Amino acid sequence: MKILRKTRFNGLRKAMQMSPEEIKEKIKKSELKGRGGSNFPTGEKIEMTMSREGVKKYIICNADEGEPGTFKDRFILKKNPLNVIEGMLIAARAINSEEGYIYLRGQYSYLKPNIEKAIQAAKKAMKKINITFNFHIIIGGGAYVCGDETAIIESIEGKRGNPRIKPPFPSRKGLFAMPTLVDNVETLANLPLIFTDKNWNDNWRLFCISGDVRKPGVYELPLGIPLKKAIQMARPKNKIKAIYFGCYGGCIPYDENLILDCEPIRKKGAMLASSLILVDETRNILDISAIISKFFEFESCGQCTPCREGNIRVLELLQKISLGKAKRKDLKLLEELCGVIGDTSLCGLGQSSVNHIMKEFKYFKNEFQEKLK
Amino acid sequence: MSSDEIGMIIDEVIKGPDGKPLLLPLLYKIQEKFGYISKNTAHEIAKKTKIPFSTIYGVITFYDMLYTEPKGKHIIRICNSPSCYLNNLVTLIKFLELLLNIKSGQTTKDKKISLEIVSCLGCCDKSPAMMINDQVYGNLNEHKIKKIISRLR
Repeated sequence: MKILRKTRFNGLRKAMQMSPEEIKEKIKKSELKGRGGSNFPTGEKIEMTMSREGVKKYIICNADEGEPGTFKDRFILKKNPLNVIEGMLIAARAINSEEGYIYLRGQYSYLKPNIEKAIQAAKKAMKKINITFNFHIIIGGGAYVCGDETAIIESIEGKRGNPRIKPPFPSRKGLFAMPTLVDNVETLANLPLIFTDKNWNDNWRLFCISGDVRKPGVYELPLGIPLKKAIQMARPKNKIKAIYFGCYGGCIPYDENLILDCEPIRKKGAMLASSLILVDETRNILDISAIISKFFEFESCGQCTPCREGNIRVLELLQKISLGKAKRKDLKLLEELCGVIGDTSLCGLGQSSVNHIMKEFKYFKNEFQEKLK
Repeated sequence: MSSDEIGMIIDEVIKGPDGKPLLLPLLYKIQEKFGYISKNTAHEIAKKTKIPFSTIYGVITFYDMLYTEPKGKHIIRICNSPSCYLNNLVTLIKFLELLLNIKSGQTTKDKKISLEIVSCLGCCDKSPAMMINDQVYGNLNEHKIKKIISRLR
Protein backbone atom coordinates (compact mmCIF):
# COMPACT_ATOMS: atom_id res chain seq x y z
CA MET A 1 0.00 0.00 0.00
CA LYS A 2 1.18 3.50 -0.82
CA ILE A 3 0.19 4.95 2.54
CA LEU A 4 2.39 2.44 4.36
CA ARG A 5 5.62 3.36 2.59
CA LYS A 6 8.15 4.51 5.16
CA THR A 7 9.70 7.87 4.34
CA ARG A 8 12.17 7.76 7.28
CA PHE A 9 12.19 11.56 7.72
CA ASN A 10 13.32 12.18 4.14
CA GLY A 11 10.15 14.18 3.59
CA LEU A 12 10.97 16.34 6.59
CA ARG A 13 14.58 16.78 5.43
CA LYS A 14 13.35 18.00 2.04
CA ALA A 15 10.88 20.33 3.71
CA MET A 16 13.64 21.75 5.90
CA GLN A 17 15.42 22.99 2.80
CA MET A 18 12.34 24.94 1.80
CA SER A 19 10.77 28.08 3.23
CA PRO A 20 7.39 27.82 5.00
CA GLU A 21 5.86 29.57 1.98
CA GLU A 22 7.34 26.98 -0.39
CA ILE A 23 6.14 24.08 1.78
CA LYS A 24 2.63 25.48 1.79
CA GLU A 25 2.71 25.98 -1.98
CA LYS A 26 3.86 22.41 -2.53
CA ILE A 27 1.06 21.03 -0.37
CA LYS A 28 -1.45 23.29 -2.09
CA LYS A 29 -0.27 22.15 -5.50
CA SER A 30 -0.51 18.51 -4.47
CA GLU A 31 -4.26 19.10 -3.95
CA LEU A 32 -4.22 16.96 -0.81
CA LYS A 33 -7.65 17.00 0.79
CA GLY A 34 -8.56 16.33 4.40
CA ARG A 35 -9.25 12.66 5.01
CA GLY A 36 -11.29 13.10 8.15
CA GLY A 37 -14.46 13.36 6.11
CA SER A 38 -14.53 17.05 5.19
CA ASN A 39 -12.45 16.78 2.01
CA PHE A 40 -11.22 20.34 2.69
CA PRO A 41 -7.97 21.28 0.88
CA THR A 42 -5.14 20.85 3.40
CA GLY A 43 -2.91 23.46 1.77
CA GLU A 44 -5.57 26.11 2.22
CA LYS A 45 -6.00 25.19 5.86
CA ILE A 46 -2.25 25.57 6.36
CA GLU A 47 -2.33 28.93 4.59
CA MET A 48 -5.11 30.16 6.85
CA THR A 49 -3.19 29.07 9.94
CA MET A 50 -0.06 30.84 8.68
CA SER A 51 -1.80 34.18 8.34
CA ARG A 52 -1.60 35.24 12.01
CA GLU A 53 2.07 35.85 12.62
CA GLY A 54 4.15 36.24 15.76
CA VAL A 55 1.96 34.17 18.06
CA LYS A 56 2.21 30.66 19.45
CA LYS A 57 0.59 28.04 17.22
CA TYR A 58 -0.50 24.48 17.76
CA ILE A 59 -0.96 21.37 15.68
CA ILE A 60 -3.52 18.75 16.57
CA CYS A 61 -3.46 15.30 15.07
CA ASN A 62 -7.06 14.18 15.08
CA ALA A 63 -6.90 10.49 15.93
CA ASP A 64 -10.41 10.45 17.35
CA GLU A 65 -11.66 8.10 14.68
CA GLY A 66 -15.21 7.37 15.76
CA GLU A 67 -17.28 7.14 12.61
CA PRO A 68 -18.93 3.72 12.62
CA GLY A 69 -17.49 1.57 9.87
CA THR A 70 -14.20 3.49 9.83
CA PHE A 71 -10.94 1.98 11.01
CA LYS A 72 -8.30 3.30 8.61
CA ASP A 73 -6.65 5.64 11.13
CA ARG A 74 -6.25 2.72 13.51
CA PHE A 75 -4.66 0.82 10.61
CA ILE A 76 -2.19 3.66 9.87
CA LEU A 77 -1.30 4.28 13.52
CA LYS A 78 -0.59 0.60 13.94
CA LYS A 79 1.41 0.06 10.77
CA ASN A 80 3.04 3.41 10.03
CA PRO A 81 2.84 5.89 12.93
CA LEU A 82 6.22 7.38 12.00
CA ASN A 83 4.81 9.00 8.85
CA VAL A 84 2.03 10.62 10.90
CA ILE A 85 4.59 12.13 13.27
CA GLU A 86 6.73 13.23 10.33
CA GLY A 87 3.65 14.81 8.76
CA MET A 88 3.06 16.79 11.94
CA LEU A 89 6.63 18.08 11.83
CA ILE A 90 6.33 19.14 8.18
CA ALA A 91 3.10 21.00 8.90
CA ALA A 92 4.77 22.51 11.98
CA ARG A 93 7.57 23.87 9.82
CA ALA A 94 5.02 25.48 7.49
CA ILE A 95 2.98 27.23 10.16
CA ASN A 96 5.92 27.78 12.55
CA SER A 97 4.65 25.71 15.44
CA GLU A 98 6.63 24.04 18.19
CA GLU A 99 3.93 22.17 20.04
CA GLY A 100 1.42 19.56 19.03
CA TYR A 101 -1.20 17.27 20.47
CA ILE A 102 -2.17 13.82 19.29
CA TYR A 103 -5.74 13.24 20.40
CA LEU A 104 -6.15 9.49 20.44
CA ARG A 105 -9.64 8.12 20.97
CA GLY A 106 -10.07 6.29 24.25
CA GLN A 107 -11.02 3.04 22.53
CA TYR A 108 -7.61 3.07 20.75
CA SER A 109 -5.53 3.63 23.90
CA TYR A 110 -3.72 0.36 23.13
CA LEU A 111 -2.04 2.21 20.24
CA LYS A 112 -0.37 4.70 22.59
CA PRO A 113 2.89 2.72 23.02
CA ASN A 114 3.18 2.53 19.24
CA ILE A 115 2.87 6.29 18.91
CA GLU A 116 5.26 6.93 21.78
CA LYS A 117 7.86 4.77 20.05
CA ALA A 118 7.43 6.81 16.87
CA ILE A 119 7.84 10.05 18.84
CA GLN A 120 11.09 8.74 20.36
CA ALA A 121 12.42 7.93 16.89
CA ALA A 122 11.35 11.36 15.70
CA LYS A 123 13.21 13.03 18.56
CA LYS A 124 16.46 11.43 17.40
CA ALA A 125 15.90 12.60 13.84
CA MET A 126 14.93 16.08 15.06
CA LYS A 127 18.19 16.38 16.96
CA LYS A 128 20.15 15.68 13.79
CA ILE A 129 18.13 18.15 11.74
CA ASN A 130 18.23 20.60 14.64
CA ILE A 131 14.55 21.32 15.25
CA THR A 132 12.52 21.35 18.42
CA PHE A 133 8.93 20.24 18.77
CA ASN A 134 6.94 19.12 21.80
CA PHE A 135 4.54 16.20 21.39
CA HIS A 136 1.72 15.39 23.79
CA ILE A 137 -0.67 12.47 23.58
CA ILE A 138 -4.14 13.03 25.00
CA ILE A 139 -6.40 10.00 25.39
CA GLY A 140 -10.00 10.84 24.54
CA GLY A 141 -12.96 10.00 26.72
CA GLY A 142 -14.95 7.95 24.24
CA ALA A 143 -17.15 10.72 22.81
CA TYR A 144 -17.83 10.59 19.06
CA VAL A 145 -18.46 14.34 18.89
CA CYS A 146 -14.81 15.05 19.80
CA GLY A 147 -13.85 14.15 16.23
CA ASP A 148 -15.22 17.61 15.36
CA GLU A 149 -12.32 20.05 15.02
CA THR A 150 -13.63 22.49 17.62
CA ALA A 151 -14.92 19.84 20.05
CA ILE A 152 -11.48 18.22 20.01
CA ILE A 153 -10.00 21.56 21.08
CA GLU A 154 -12.50 21.95 23.91
CA SER A 155 -11.72 18.41 25.01
CA ILE A 156 -7.95 18.98 25.10
CA GLU A 157 -8.52 22.18 27.07
CA GLY A 158 -10.26 20.07 29.71
CA LYS A 159 -13.88 20.82 28.93
CA ARG A 160 -16.92 18.89 27.79
CA GLY A 161 -16.62 18.11 24.09
CA ASN A 162 -19.18 20.65 22.93
CA PRO A 163 -18.45 21.99 19.43
CA ARG A 164 -17.85 25.74 19.19
CA ILE A 165 -19.76 28.15 17.05
CA LYS A 166 -17.72 29.07 13.96
CA PRO A 167 -16.28 31.57 13.12
CA PRO A 168 -13.73 32.07 14.55
CA PHE A 169 -12.19 29.03 12.92
CA PRO A 170 -9.39 27.12 14.66
CA SER A 171 -6.94 28.52 12.10
CA ARG A 172 -7.40 31.93 13.78
CA LYS A 173 -8.50 31.06 17.28
CA GLY A 174 -8.12 27.43 18.23
CA LEU A 175 -6.42 25.64 21.10
CA PHE A 176 -5.88 27.97 24.08
CA ALA A 177 -7.18 30.76 21.78
CA MET A 178 -4.16 30.42 19.47
CA PRO A 179 -4.10 29.58 15.73
CA THR A 180 -4.35 25.81 15.44
CA LEU A 181 -4.07 23.35 12.60
CA VAL A 182 -6.29 20.30 13.12
CA ASP A 183 -5.57 17.47 10.71
CA ASN A 184 -6.67 13.87 10.45
CA VAL A 185 -4.24 10.94 10.78
CA GLU A 186 -4.44 9.90 7.12
CA THR A 187 -3.98 13.50 5.96
CA LEU A 188 -0.82 13.88 8.04
CA ALA A 189 0.51 10.47 6.94
CA ASN A 190 0.32 11.68 3.34
CA LEU A 191 2.38 14.82 3.90
CA PRO A 192 5.85 13.15 3.89
CA LEU A 193 4.86 11.18 0.78
CA ILE A 194 4.10 14.40 -1.08
CA PHE A 195 7.69 15.50 -0.49
CA THR A 196 9.34 12.18 -1.38
CA ASP A 197 7.24 10.74 -4.19
CA LYS A 198 7.01 12.64 -7.48
CA ASN A 199 4.07 10.51 -8.58
CA TRP A 200 1.99 11.09 -5.47
CA ASN A 201 -1.56 12.15 -6.16
CA ASP A 202 -4.66 12.78 -4.11
CA ASN A 203 -6.69 10.09 -5.85
CA TRP A 204 -5.54 7.17 -3.76
CA ARG A 205 -7.67 6.84 -0.67
CA LEU A 206 -8.22 4.35 2.07
CA PHE A 207 -11.67 2.78 2.18
CA CYS A 208 -13.00 0.70 5.01
CA ILE A 209 -15.44 -1.88 3.71
CA SER A 210 -17.54 -3.80 6.20
CA GLY A 211 -21.02 -5.17 6.84
CA ASP A 212 -22.50 -8.04 4.85
CA VAL A 213 -19.20 -9.11 3.32
CA ARG A 214 -16.82 -12.03 3.72
CA LYS A 215 -13.62 -9.98 3.50
CA PRO A 216 -14.06 -6.74 5.45
CA GLY A 217 -10.97 -4.55 5.70
CA VAL A 218 -9.02 -1.49 4.65
CA TYR A 219 -8.64 -1.16 0.89
CA GLU A 220 -6.47 1.43 -0.83
CA LEU A 221 -8.23 2.39 -4.05
CA PRO A 222 -8.08 5.25 -6.53
CA LEU A 223 -11.14 7.46 -6.88
CA GLY A 224 -12.86 6.97 -10.21
CA ILE A 225 -12.97 3.18 -10.33
CA PRO A 226 -16.33 1.41 -10.67
CA LEU A 227 -17.98 0.98 -7.28
CA LYS A 228 -18.73 -2.59 -8.32
CA LYS A 229 -15.03 -3.39 -8.45
CA ALA A 230 -14.43 -2.10 -4.92
CA ILE A 231 -17.36 -4.03 -3.55
CA GLN A 232 -16.42 -7.28 -5.22
CA MET A 233 -13.03 -7.14 -3.53
CA ALA A 234 -14.73 -7.45 -0.16
CA ARG A 235 -16.74 -10.47 -1.39
CA PRO A 236 -20.40 -9.73 -0.56
CA LYS A 237 -22.35 -12.57 1.04
CA ASN A 238 -25.52 -11.86 -0.97
CA LYS A 239 -26.81 -9.36 -3.49
CA ILE A 240 -26.10 -5.87 -2.06
CA LYS A 241 -29.14 -3.66 -1.49
CA ALA A 242 -27.73 -0.47 0.00
CA ILE A 243 -24.46 1.20 0.88
CA TYR A 244 -24.16 3.29 4.03
CA PHE A 245 -21.32 5.80 4.15
CA GLY A 246 -20.76 5.48 7.85
CA CYS A 247 -23.55 6.82 10.02
CA TYR A 248 -23.29 10.45 9.00
CA GLY A 249 -22.87 10.06 5.23
CA GLY A 250 -26.32 8.75 4.42
CA CYS A 251 -27.07 5.84 2.13
CA ILE A 252 -27.73 5.01 -1.50
CA PRO A 253 -29.22 1.98 -3.20
CA TYR A 254 -26.52 -0.14 -4.78
CA ASP A 255 -26.17 0.63 -8.47
CA GLU A 256 -23.72 -1.40 -10.53
CA ASN A 257 -22.91 1.51 -12.80
CA LEU A 258 -21.93 3.94 -10.10
CA ILE A 259 -18.38 5.31 -9.87
CA LEU A 260 -16.47 5.43 -6.60
CA ASP A 261 -15.93 9.19 -6.35
CA CYS A 262 -17.24 12.06 -4.26
CA GLU A 263 -19.21 13.80 -7.00
CA PRO A 264 -21.35 10.92 -8.34
CA ILE A 265 -22.18 9.87 -4.81
CA ARG A 266 -22.99 13.44 -3.77
CA LYS A 267 -25.38 13.61 -6.74
CA LYS A 268 -27.22 10.67 -5.20
CA GLY A 269 -27.45 12.63 -1.96
CA ALA A 270 -24.81 10.86 0.12
CA MET A 271 -21.33 11.82 1.29
CA LEU A 272 -18.35 9.65 0.45
CA ALA A 273 -15.67 9.61 3.12
CA SER A 274 -13.94 6.33 3.84
CA SER A 275 -16.58 4.09 5.30
CA LEU A 276 -18.62 1.76 3.13
CA ILE A 277 -21.04 -0.40 5.10
CA LEU A 278 -22.67 -2.85 2.75
CA VAL A 279 -26.20 -4.02 3.48
CA ASP A 280 -27.59 -6.93 1.52
CA GLU A 281 -31.05 -7.94 0.38
CA THR A 282 -31.77 -10.08 3.41
CA ARG A 283 -31.96 -6.91 5.56
CA ASN A 284 -34.71 -4.55 6.48
CA ILE A 285 -33.72 -0.90 6.08
CA LEU A 286 -35.82 0.07 9.09
CA ASP A 287 -33.60 -2.00 11.38
CA ILE A 288 -30.45 -0.32 10.10
CA SER A 289 -32.13 3.06 10.42
CA ALA A 290 -32.95 2.42 14.08
CA ILE A 291 -29.38 1.30 14.86
CA ILE A 292 -27.97 4.49 13.32
CA SER A 293 -30.49 6.75 15.05
CA LYS A 294 -29.70 5.04 18.34
CA PHE A 295 -26.07 5.92 17.72
CA PHE A 296 -26.81 9.63 17.22
CA GLU A 297 -29.25 9.75 20.11
CA PHE A 298 -26.50 8.31 22.32
CA GLU A 299 -23.66 10.43 20.96
CA SER A 300 -25.42 13.81 20.81
CA CYS A 301 -23.42 16.11 23.07
CA GLY A 302 -26.61 17.70 24.36
CA GLN A 303 -25.59 21.27 23.70
CA CYS A 304 -28.35 22.22 21.24
CA THR A 305 -32.00 21.26 21.52
CA PRO A 306 -32.76 20.08 17.96
CA CYS A 307 -30.10 17.39 18.08
CA ARG A 308 -30.51 16.41 21.75
CA GLU A 309 -34.30 16.20 21.90
CA GLY A 310 -34.94 15.64 18.20
CA ASN A 311 -32.95 12.46 18.01
CA ILE A 312 -34.80 11.00 21.00
CA ARG A 313 -38.10 11.61 19.18
CA VAL A 314 -36.72 10.26 15.91
CA LEU A 315 -35.76 7.04 17.63
CA GLU A 316 -39.19 6.77 19.27
CA LEU A 317 -40.92 7.22 15.92
CA LEU A 318 -38.69 4.65 14.22
CA GLN A 319 -39.46 2.14 16.95
CA LYS A 320 -43.16 2.88 16.63
CA ILE A 321 -42.95 2.21 12.90
CA SER A 322 -40.96 -0.99 13.45
CA LEU A 323 -43.58 -2.30 15.85
CA GLY A 324 -46.31 -1.67 13.28
CA LYS A 325 -48.02 0.90 15.50
CA ALA A 326 -47.43 3.98 13.36
CA LYS A 327 -49.90 5.74 11.11
CA ARG A 328 -49.36 7.79 8.01
CA LYS A 329 -49.18 11.01 10.04
CA ASP A 330 -46.28 9.59 12.10
CA LEU A 331 -44.28 9.12 8.94
CA LYS A 332 -45.00 12.72 7.99
CA LEU A 333 -44.00 13.89 11.45
CA LEU A 334 -40.73 11.96 11.19
CA GLU A 335 -39.97 13.56 7.84
CA GLU A 336 -40.68 17.04 9.18
CA LEU A 337 -38.66 16.43 12.33
CA CYS A 338 -35.67 15.27 10.29
CA GLY A 339 -35.86 18.45 8.23
CA VAL A 340 -35.81 20.60 11.37
CA ILE A 341 -32.94 18.70 12.98
CA GLY A 342 -30.89 18.89 9.78
CA ASP A 343 -31.54 22.61 9.33
CA THR A 344 -31.20 23.89 12.87
CA SER A 345 -28.60 21.77 14.68
CA LEU A 346 -25.45 23.57 15.73
CA CYS A 347 -22.71 21.29 14.46
CA GLY A 348 -21.99 18.72 11.80
CA LEU A 349 -23.03 15.85 14.04
CA GLY A 350 -26.53 17.17 14.56
CA GLN A 351 -26.97 18.33 10.98
CA SER A 352 -25.98 14.98 9.56
CA SER A 353 -27.69 12.84 12.20
CA VAL A 354 -30.81 12.56 10.05
CA ASN A 355 -29.04 12.25 6.72
CA HIS A 356 -29.59 8.53 6.60
CA ILE A 357 -33.34 8.82 7.21
CA MET A 358 -33.80 11.40 4.47
CA LYS A 359 -32.06 9.05 2.04
CA GLU A 360 -33.93 6.01 3.31
CA PHE A 361 -37.14 7.95 2.64
CA LYS A 362 -35.93 8.82 -0.81
CA TYR A 363 -34.88 5.33 -1.84
CA PHE A 364 -36.59 2.85 0.45
CA LYS A 365 -39.80 4.56 1.53
CA ASN A 366 -41.86 1.49 0.71
CA GLU A 367 -40.17 -0.39 3.55
CA PHE A 368 -41.48 2.27 5.94
CA GLN A 369 -44.94 2.39 4.36
CA GLU A 370 -45.38 -1.38 4.49
CA LYS A 371 -45.19 -1.19 8.26
CA LEU A 372 -47.96 1.40 8.68
CA LYS A 373 -51.23 0.56 10.41
CA MET B 1 -7.83 8.49 47.99
CA SER B 2 -5.82 10.82 50.15
CA SER B 3 -5.44 14.48 49.40
CA ASP B 4 -1.65 14.04 49.18
CA GLU B 5 -1.99 11.36 46.52
CA ILE B 6 -4.20 13.63 44.45
CA GLY B 7 -1.68 16.42 44.87
CA MET B 8 1.11 14.20 43.62
CA ILE B 9 -0.85 13.18 40.55
CA ILE B 10 -1.68 16.82 39.80
CA ASP B 11 2.04 17.64 39.90
CA GLU B 12 2.81 14.93 37.33
CA VAL B 13 0.18 15.91 34.78
CA ILE B 14 0.75 18.21 31.80
CA LYS B 15 -0.36 21.81 32.37
CA GLY B 16 -2.08 24.27 30.08
CA PRO B 17 -0.79 27.84 29.49
CA ASP B 18 -2.61 29.03 32.63
CA GLY B 19 -0.59 26.59 34.74
CA LYS B 20 -3.61 24.43 35.53
CA PRO B 21 -3.50 20.70 34.74
CA LEU B 22 -5.31 19.46 31.65
CA LEU B 23 -8.37 17.66 32.95
CA LEU B 24 -8.59 14.60 30.71
CA PRO B 25 -5.10 13.25 31.48
CA LEU B 26 -5.53 14.18 35.15
CA LEU B 27 -8.86 12.43 35.52
CA TYR B 28 -7.60 9.33 33.71
CA LYS B 29 -4.62 9.11 36.06
CA ILE B 30 -6.86 9.40 39.10
CA GLN B 31 -9.26 6.82 37.71
CA GLU B 32 -6.37 4.48 36.96
CA LYS B 33 -5.42 4.54 40.62
CA PHE B 34 -8.84 4.44 42.16
CA GLY B 35 -11.07 2.78 39.57
CA TYR B 36 -13.49 5.71 39.45
CA ILE B 37 -13.79 9.36 40.47
CA SER B 38 -16.21 9.99 43.30
CA LYS B 39 -17.89 13.29 44.01
CA ASN B 40 -15.61 13.75 47.01
CA THR B 41 -12.53 13.17 44.90
CA ALA B 42 -13.83 15.68 42.37
CA HIS B 43 -14.28 18.22 45.19
CA GLU B 44 -10.72 17.54 46.32
CA ILE B 45 -9.40 18.06 42.76
CA ALA B 46 -11.36 21.31 42.54
CA LYS B 47 -9.84 22.58 45.77
CA LYS B 48 -6.32 21.75 44.72
CA THR B 49 -6.45 22.92 41.10
CA LYS B 50 -8.80 25.91 41.56
CA ILE B 51 -10.83 24.53 38.65
CA PRO B 52 -14.55 24.84 39.54
CA PHE B 53 -16.16 21.62 40.79
CA SER B 54 -18.95 22.06 38.24
CA THR B 55 -16.41 22.01 35.39
CA ILE B 56 -14.73 18.89 36.72
CA TYR B 57 -17.94 17.01 37.41
CA GLY B 58 -19.34 18.16 34.07
CA VAL B 59 -16.33 16.68 32.31
CA ILE B 60 -16.44 13.36 34.17
CA THR B 61 -20.11 12.86 33.37
CA PHE B 62 -19.70 13.93 29.73
CA TYR B 63 -17.21 11.21 28.81
CA ASP B 64 -18.37 7.60 28.76
CA MET B 65 -14.97 6.28 29.75
CA LEU B 66 -14.79 8.25 33.00
CA TYR B 67 -16.82 6.86 35.89
CA THR B 68 -18.41 8.44 38.94
CA GLU B 69 -19.16 5.06 40.46
CA PRO B 70 -17.09 1.92 41.02
CA LYS B 71 -16.93 -0.50 38.10
CA GLY B 72 -15.99 -4.16 37.85
CA LYS B 73 -12.38 -5.25 37.74
CA HIS B 74 -12.84 -6.00 34.04
CA ILE B 75 -14.89 -3.79 31.77
CA ILE B 76 -16.41 -5.44 28.73
CA ARG B 77 -17.35 -3.01 25.99
CA ILE B 78 -19.36 -4.59 23.21
CA CYS B 79 -19.57 -2.69 19.94
CA ASN B 80 -22.98 -1.54 18.74
CA SER B 81 -22.03 -0.27 15.27
CA PRO B 82 -24.07 -1.11 12.16
CA SER B 83 -21.23 -3.37 10.98
CA CYS B 84 -21.38 -5.42 14.16
CA TYR B 85 -25.17 -5.36 14.03
CA LEU B 86 -25.00 -6.94 10.58
CA ASN B 87 -22.83 -9.67 12.03
CA ASN B 88 -25.11 -11.16 14.62
CA LEU B 89 -24.52 -8.66 17.42
CA VAL B 90 -27.98 -8.74 18.97
CA THR B 91 -27.81 -12.47 19.70
CA LEU B 92 -24.36 -12.08 21.21
CA ILE B 93 -25.41 -9.27 23.56
CA LYS B 94 -28.27 -11.45 24.81
CA PHE B 95 -25.85 -14.34 25.21
CA LEU B 96 -23.40 -12.20 27.19
CA GLU B 97 -26.13 -10.84 29.44
CA LEU B 98 -27.35 -14.35 30.15
CA LEU B 99 -23.85 -15.67 30.75
CA LEU B 100 -22.94 -12.88 33.16
CA ASN B 101 -26.42 -12.73 34.62
CA ILE B 102 -26.51 -8.91 34.31
CA LYS B 103 -28.01 -6.39 31.90
CA SER B 104 -25.74 -4.10 29.93
CA GLY B 105 -24.74 -1.12 32.05
CA GLN B 106 -24.51 -3.31 35.16
CA THR B 107 -21.71 -4.99 37.13
CA THR B 108 -21.67 -8.59 38.37
CA LYS B 109 -22.33 -9.17 42.08
CA ASP B 110 -18.75 -10.27 42.70
CA LYS B 111 -17.63 -6.89 41.25
CA LYS B 112 -15.50 -8.67 38.67
CA ILE B 113 -17.13 -7.74 35.37
CA SER B 114 -19.01 -4.70 34.06
CA LEU B 115 -20.83 -4.87 30.73
CA GLU B 116 -21.30 -1.84 28.49
CA ILE B 117 -22.81 -1.46 25.04
CA VAL B 118 -20.75 1.20 23.24
CA SER B 119 -20.62 3.01 19.91
CA CYS B 120 -18.22 1.77 17.24
CA LEU B 121 -14.90 0.38 18.52
CA GLY B 122 -13.30 0.79 15.08
CA CYS B 123 -12.89 -2.94 14.60
CA CYS B 124 -15.43 -3.43 11.82
CA ASP B 125 -12.93 -5.64 9.98
CA LYS B 126 -13.38 -8.20 12.74
CA SER B 127 -17.00 -7.63 13.68
CA PRO B 128 -18.71 -8.51 15.88
CA ALA B 129 -16.12 -7.17 18.29
CA MET B 130 -15.73 -6.32 21.95
CA MET B 131 -13.02 -4.93 24.17
CA ILE B 132 -12.10 -6.16 27.60
CA ASN B 133 -10.10 -3.43 29.30
CA ASP B 134 -7.47 -2.57 26.64
CA GLN B 135 -7.72 -5.71 24.57
CA VAL B 136 -9.83 -6.21 21.44
CA TYR B 137 -11.58 -9.51 20.72
CA GLY B 138 -13.00 -9.86 17.23
CA ASN B 139 -14.97 -12.28 15.04
CA LEU B 140 -16.94 -13.29 18.09
CA ASN B 141 -19.33 -16.17 18.43
CA GLU B 142 -20.96 -17.76 21.46
CA HIS B 143 -18.29 -20.40 21.83
CA LYS B 144 -15.48 -17.80 21.73
CA ILE B 145 -17.22 -15.51 24.21
CA LYS B 146 -17.71 -18.39 26.65
CA LYS B 147 -14.02 -19.21 26.51
CA ILE B 148 -12.91 -15.60 26.97
CA ILE B 149 -15.24 -15.02 29.92
CA SER B 150 -14.19 -18.22 31.66
CA ARG B 151 -10.62 -16.97 31.60
CA LEU B 152 -11.68 -13.75 33.37
CA ARG B 153 -13.30 -15.61 36.23
